[in-house]
Amino acid sequence: MREITLSKAVNEAIAEEMRRDPTTFLIGEDVAEAGTPFKVLSGLVEEFGTERVIDTPIAEPGFMGIAVGAALTGSRPIVDLMFGDFIFLIMDQLCNQAAKACYMSGGKLNVPLVLRTNLGATRRSAAQHSQSLHALVAHIPGLKVALPSSAYEAKGLMKTAIRDNNPVVIFEDKLMYQEKALVPEEEFLIPFGEANVKREGTDITLIGTSSMVQVAEAAAEQLASEGISAEVIDPRTIVPLDEATLLESVRKTSRAIVIDEGHQSFGTTAEIASRLNEKAFYHLDAPVLRMGAMDVPVPFSPALEDITVPTAEGVADNARKLCAGEMIHAA
Amino acid sequence: MPHEVIMPALGMAQDTGRIVSWLKQPGEAVASGDALFEVETDKATMEVEAAHDGYLTDVRAGAGEDVPVGNAVAMISDTPEDSGMTGNNAGAGADATNDPPDDAALPEGREVIMPALGMSQDSGTIVAWLVEAGAQVAADDPLFEVETDKSTVEVPAGHAGHVAALLAEAGEEVAVGAAVAVISAEKPAAPVQRKARAAPAETAPAKPARPAPSSVPKDGPAPVAPTAGGRILASPKARRLAAEQGLDLARLAEAGHPQPYHVKDLEVLRGMGQTRAATPGTDDFPMQITARVPATPGAEFHAWISAEGATAPPVPVLWAAFACGALRRARDAGNASLTVALTGVASPARKLADPDLHRLTQQVEAEETTGPALILRDFSDSAITGMRLSTPSAPAVTMGREGDDLIVTLDFTAAQIDEDQALAFITDFTARLSDPLRHLL
Repeated sequence: MREITLSKAVNEAIAEEMRRDPTTFLIGEDVAEAGTPFKVLSGLVEEFGTERVIDTPIAEPGFMGIAVGAALTGSRPIVDLMFGDFIFLIMDQLCNQAAKACYMSGGKLNVPLVLRTNLGATRRSAAQHSQSLHALVAHIPGLKVALPSSAYEAKGLMKTAIRDNNPVVIFEDKLMYQEKALVPEEEFLIPFGEANVKREGTDITLIGTSSMVQVAEAAAEQLASEGISAEVIDPRTIVPLDEATLLESVRKTSRAIVIDEGHQSFGTTAEIASRLNEKAFYHLDAPVLRMGAMDVPVPFSPALEDITVPTAEGVADNARKLCAGEMIHAA
Repeated sequence: MPHEVIMPALGMAQDTGRIVSWLKQPGEAVASGDALFEVETDKATMEVEAAHDGYLTDVRAGAGEDVPVGNAVAMISDTPEDSGMTGNNAGAGADATNDPPDDAALPEGREVIMPALGMSQDSGTIVAWLVEAGAQVAADDPLFEVETDKSTVEVPAGHAGHVAALLAEAGEEVAVGAAVAVISAEKPAAPVQRKARAAPAETAPAKPARPAPSSVPKDGPAPVAPTAGGRILASPKARRLAAEQGLDLARLAEAGHPQPYHVKDLEVLRGMGQTRAATPGTDDFPMQITARVPATPGAEFHAWISAEGATAPPVPVLWAAFACGALRRARDAGNASLTVALTGVASPARKLADPDLHRLTQQVEAEETTGPALILRDFSDSAITGMRLSTPSAPAVTMGREGDDLIVTLDFTAAQIDEDQALAFITDFTARLSDPLRHLL
């Protein structure tokens, strides 16, 4: 197997699906001749032409609306939203139109649309270009949410998303585009709702999403040297969520930390922790901890920005406390 | 009795509604909930439903007519014929005299109804009356404040005149369309003021008391009960495992082991050993069998022995002999000597050396140090019919009395005798009590 970057993996997934299905097209800002955001889409306009790789004006609500309409009438658009932060501009098209059409038509309409965008801080992009807003999307019934944690997931999940008959939003971590992973050359898809147990352990379960899977794995490595056996799980999609795998792990380890780069309050970590509390209560020997991004606008100052996101050291520190029985706030 | 059909207020700023079309013909049967007519307001066209079962009669506003809000447009009567109970044409107020007999005492005048201020509103609560009964009002004077689920608004009198009646008190909830006041043209001699009638439909049935939520969660057994000293802090898993394994977290707390407790603290608890709480299925779990037998045969048997001239033993000793014989057979004990400890309210504590192997008239006290094979507690002269105290050192029979019956209770643990032996014992013992001659055979 070869190693390729996450950027290349996404490019391959889109190119393969566009070859496979002529109704698939790509639309967004700078996706074609103006050069491509994070250089992910290089070469696509040369192969598929400007009719299927469409540059748009800087008008997110407009091209998102065009894509929803195209999806409703038989095409399979892939919308490129340059920054996840811009999702606020297209909320009506996404949440009121795309997410609802299948439900409100009693299944007569489908919206086979992929919204491809990104998340992640520490790129020194400041508060309006550094947010991780997937929890906003996951809150809306009718939208699926995939969070690839490596080049392998980025390719497999993207292909599944493009073939899905209703809207899927994929958030890639913008700091991981140049990171490499083993990706098979032959075709493969990763089904939605199947978590990946990255590392087995017996003392604590670390559930990480997107780039936080790496943080969890680094923490597990530190903990292993101290005799604490941590299990690391990547849910891969948060809607649908593979509850069964998470619950099975927590019933085994009886402790868990959920790590995600969205803001901690009212976020992905809270939702997953709450489900574990509800469904594995009598198997818990400690409260399920949330570790999300600090509840502040992402600072521009690098020194400040770095402390707003969960780190391997922070995760390991909390895991030690949970395993030592120090984290029940007994009052 | 006929009921009025009024033009509803469908919007906040609505003064009149235009009847677009009638959906029922005069004389046609209607059921409550049937659409009667379509009305157009400044905002929408919608259907107005019948509030009563009956026949549509006295239609007095046709399609295309504008009707002031609150005015009657028809009646729903018991018969298909017009009731003739109205002299009001469209534009005139509803007449209070059209109301049922129990409103007969109301002064003449035009009713003010509880308006429908929202599409889904069934009733409104009168926040406050803004006028006194008997006061003079102009048509657009605010009459009262009404609160809906959405807002509080003032409702104008609608007619100029005098407030002849206030039919609901502040704080009361009134169904939409129900009359809340009467405005009369003449100054009323004695204005009426009263509470709203409790319409049956509005009287909510008393909510059945909700059963207390079960404290036993589906996912596991109930956590251990907190100690008298307060709640024990422990993780859900530690609590579950303790309950499953018969470990009492209170003992850790009593021993001063620092809380909160986690699974690893259960090891400490296991190390404390011995006096763990009994759980079902273990050897020291207390078990009990209760039986009821008539007291008369025993009493007659005792009287018979006494009549034969012998020195009859006290009745409890007789029972001890019966019980000892029954225990021998149940345990298949051969001629081994079975000591019976006897206690009771009326007799001193005694220890009898096998009352079954000795003659009834010659009881022998056992050595003080001998452990009893059976304990017999006589409470037949007291109000006590049974007891379970701390697990006794041997199977314990408690004799209680209830009227003409003896209540026989056997307390035992599996470590003492097994369940089959216990059942055989109690069956044999009660048979002897019912027919004491058996004992002699």
